[in-house]
Parts: sequence; structure tokens; C-alpha cells
Amino acid sequence: MRDTSTAFRVKKAFGYAMMLTFLAFSLLPVIWVVLLSMRPPTALFEPIWESPGAWTLDNIRSIARSDFPAALLNSFITAGSSTLLAMLIGVPGAFALSKRRSSNKFFASWLLLLLRMAPPVGFVIPLFLVYVRVGLIDTYVGLIFAYTSLTLPFVVWSMWTSFNQIPDELIEAGLMDGASLGRVLWRIVIPAARPGLVAAGVLSFLLAWNDFFFSLIITRSDTTTAPVAVMNFVSYASVDWGAIAVASIALTLPIVPIIVLANKYIVQSLGGAVKG
Amino acid sequence: MPATRASAAMDRTYRRMLVPASLAVGIFAITPLLGMLALSFTDFHLVRGWSGEIGIQNFVRLFEDRRFISSIYIMMALSVFGVLAQVVLGTAIAVGLDKIVGRWRFARGIFVVPFAVPHVAVALIWLSLFTPTLSPINAFFAVFGIEVPALLTTQTGAITAIVIADTWATYPFVMLIVLAALQGISPDLDEAAALDGATRVKAFFRITLPLLYPTLLMVALFRFIETLKHFPLIFVMTSGGPGRATQATNYYAYVQTFQNSNVAYGASIAVFLFLFAAAISFYIAKANARLSDA
Repeated sequence: MRDTSTAFRVKKAFGYAMMLTFLAFSLLPVIWVVLLSMRPPTALFEPIWESPGAWTLDNIRSIARSDFPAALLNSFITAGSSTLLAMLIGVPGAFALSKRRSSNKFFASWLLLLLRMAPPVGFVIPLFLVYVRVGLIDTYVGLIFAYTSLTLPFVVWSMWTSFNQIPDELIEAGLMDGASLGRVLWRIVIPAARPGLVAAGVLSFLLAWNDFFFSLIITRSDTTTAPVAVMNFVSYASVDWGAIAVASIALTLPIVPIIVLANKYIVQSLGGAVKG
Repeated sequence: MPATRASAAMDRTYRRMLVPASLAVGIFAITPLLGMLALSFTDFHLVRGWSGEIGIQNFVRLFEDRRFISSIYIMMALSVFGVLAQVVLGTAIAVGLDKIVGRWRFARGIFVVPFAVPHVAVALIWLSLFTPTLSPINAFFAVFGIEVPALLTTQTGAITAIVIADTWATYPFVMLIVLAALQGISPDLDEAAALDGATRVKAFFRITLPLLYPTLLMVALFRFIETLKHFPLIFVMTSGGPGRATQATNYYAYVQTFQNSNVAYGASIAVFLFLFAAAISFYIAKANARLSDA
């Protein structure tokens, strides 16, 4: 039964127009920043159609020579370590929370959610004061610990929901065969929960990679992460837009393949986390 | 009984698995929060230190502080308009994409792109788009002799600008989740509605939307809490300005603590925000528990 009346066609055209508009809304700023990254300072403040031939790779070269690559490396090291730490500690904990018979699971789930949602300014004030005392300001260890306050509650919460979907029978069958609980977790449960594991790892990495606030407060020049280092190109006197554009792209590029590869798992996991 | 002994041994293993996580959550997360709570009852100042006095003076001061009160209004404006825009837009695009199959499926991937952009980069991209001398938007409308107002110079404009940037970056998150939920809804329902003679629009509002309601509520709550924590967008795009026009509560806590050195007062603002988050997360945890029981 296909309706081919004019009214239907108008509605359909309207629908496509809407979708195209929002596609443009999503995509144009990205295209803009790519163009901006290749504009020479002399042509920066004139419309692109007035100097369509003015392009340069100088912005990329000057970023490559600046401190920014080192900051990117700092971001990788701290976000990666914190995720690894959170997974190592959090996965067994989440498994136990999911499968152990216990009455007080509500409190644990509320606590984990609360820690995920608590304002970072609350964590950072005491951390800052303690770090100043013990010399952890501007160190990898200090930043990794701070990030773990973000990543660990997230990993435990999302792996808990993933493990809930693993049937108890699978674990019982493994135990029947004489394997220890730890072995069952490692050999049977973790492979079965792989999508959830990938999503938790990826999202926890992004959580730390995206951080601006912790790094702003507890790092100085040695361990500054990339999001804070970008701000070096902004000063009262002048804003180096070309460098900012290149840095923004450099900050985003490592994330794109991760999101594309893990997209399916992330949707499953987010859906699960929202639905319970 | 060997069975009980075995299950007791298993319980011990489970508890052992919980130890590292509990310890780490205790050290990394709960200790700083207790520190925040303790600080909020002192008069600790970054330079002057602590006089030794303990009391609730910070909390009394909170409710006499006009800047704090107005920061709550700013925070609510950013959150309410932001979440509304993100949920409406995300749902609309998800419903549109849900029906699209085959050749246009790649559109999904494109809609997700802004989700990958880190918040600081989001803020910088939109700052460039809202800088009149630089922005291609201004240049484009100038061709037709239209002057686009500089959004970041007024309070309403600056709040709108932050909401737009935030919406751009996060409506894909809403879209992904709603899309997943829509695919769980049976297409038979749509057909049944069509057979009953209901129009598409009516079918959406009467059937699809009520089924989506729990998902939408959860997504909205999650986004609401995230928007309360706005920091990079405000820091980069407006620095709380023009004047103090975009100092939302979270940002105000940062200003008091790290710019004015009023650590204890900043901590009391953080406690206020924390209580807010506690109430909402309690509600979400309750709803989750209900859903997993059902």
C-alpha cells in the first residue's frame, strides 16, 4: 500500500530537507576547522572565496615543532595507564558485584553512579591540596590517580551491567568442570563479555582523554595533557587560530578510528547502561 | 554439606575480588570527597591558611551570596535549554535514521562525528565560529548585507552560544541511544497503527513516544548531570563572561577556589553541587533497580 499523493511527497521532501540541514549542522564545523588549519595568517580574516588560492602547511609544521606533540604523548600515557589500572582493578570487582549473592547491591550501584556524576571540582580541591604537600603536582602518577577517580567508577558500573547479561549457568558449568572462580572469570566470562569489555575500555580512555579540568589544576609544564596545551595558543595578545585548528584536529584524530571500530559495542553498552 | 562449603569458599573468592576495587574507590574517590566535605566547614584560604575555626558559616554565606544565586540560574538555563535541544534533536534524527536503510546508512556514521571531538576542541571550534572577524557565518551573511550579531557579547547570546556548542557535540549521544531503543520496538506496531488508519505523526506520538519514554527520561537525566558539570565550554568560550554572565555554579566554584583562593568557600559550593548530583543519581539508581527487577 504505497501512498504517492502530492501531500506525501511534500512531507517526504520536507523530511529529507530536515535531515540534510542537520547533516550540514554536524559536518560543516568539522570542514571549517580543517580549512582553518590550512589558512595562512595573512588570509585568516578574509572570506575563503576572496582568496581561494591561499593555503599553507605552516600551521602543521609549527605545531610539530611546538610542545604540543609531547602533550599528546602525555595524554596517551595518562589516559592509557588510568584505563589499564581501572580495568585491572574494576573488572574482577564488577564480576563479584554482578554474581555474588548479596543484599546491599542498591547502595553499591548508587555509590558508583554518584561517583560518576559528582562534580570534578569536588574531587580536585582536596587532591590539589594533598598533591602540593606530597609533591604529586605535575607528575604522571598524580594525574593517573586523579583520572582513576573518573575511570574506575565508570568501568565497574558498565562492566557490572555487562556481566549481568552473562547467564549464571555458564559460570556453574565452568565450576562443575573443576575450574576455580578466577579461572572461570578469565577463561569463560571475560571472552563472553568481550563487547562490554571493549566499550568500557574505550569509553574510559575517552573520559580521561577528554579531561580538561584535572589537568588544568594539577599539571604544569612537564605533564600537561593535550587539551590544556591547546590553550597555549590562546593569549590575551593574540589567538593563533591556525595552530588551534591543527591542534584540535590532532586532538580528535586518534579518537576517530577508536569510535569507528568500537561503535557497535559502544551503542550496545550505552543502551544497556541507560536501560539498566 | 559439601555444597555449602563450596559456596562459602566461592563467596570468599568473590569478596577477595571486591577488595582491590573497594580499596581503590575508597582511596581515589571517596577520600577526596570526604576531604571536600571537611574543608567546607573550615575557613581555609590558599594564602592565609586556616584560622582553626570550624562552622557552617560557608553555607550561611552561600545563600546570601548574590553571585552564587545567579550562578544557579545560569546553570539551570544552560542545563534545561541544552538538554531540551539535545533530546529533541537527537530523537528527531534517530527517528529519521531509523527508517533509512541501504544506501543512506552511512549517514549514521556522519552524524556521530562530533561525538568524537574532545570538549576543548568543541569549545575552540565554536569560539572561532562565534568570533565575528573570523567566522565564515558572518562572512557569508555579509555578502547579503546582513550583519550577524556577536553572540558572545551579551548574556543571552553567550548562553545560547554555549548551548549550541554543547548540543552540536552531544546530540549524537542521544541519537545513538534512541536509535538502539527504536530498533528494539517491533515494526508490527507501526503497521498495526497504519491499518487502524492512524497517520504517521499520530502513530509516533501515540505509540512510539510512550514506548521510548523510559529511555528518553534516562538519557535526559544523564545529560542533565553532565551539563551541570560544564567547564571547558565556559572556560574557553566565555571565561565566565561577558562580566560574570556565564559563571555557572561549577565554574563559580572554580573561580572562588583557584582564582580567589577561597578554598573552603569553593568546597562548600562543590558540596552543594554534590548534593544535587546525589539526589538525581539516587533517583536513577532506584529506577534502574526497578527495571532490572521487572
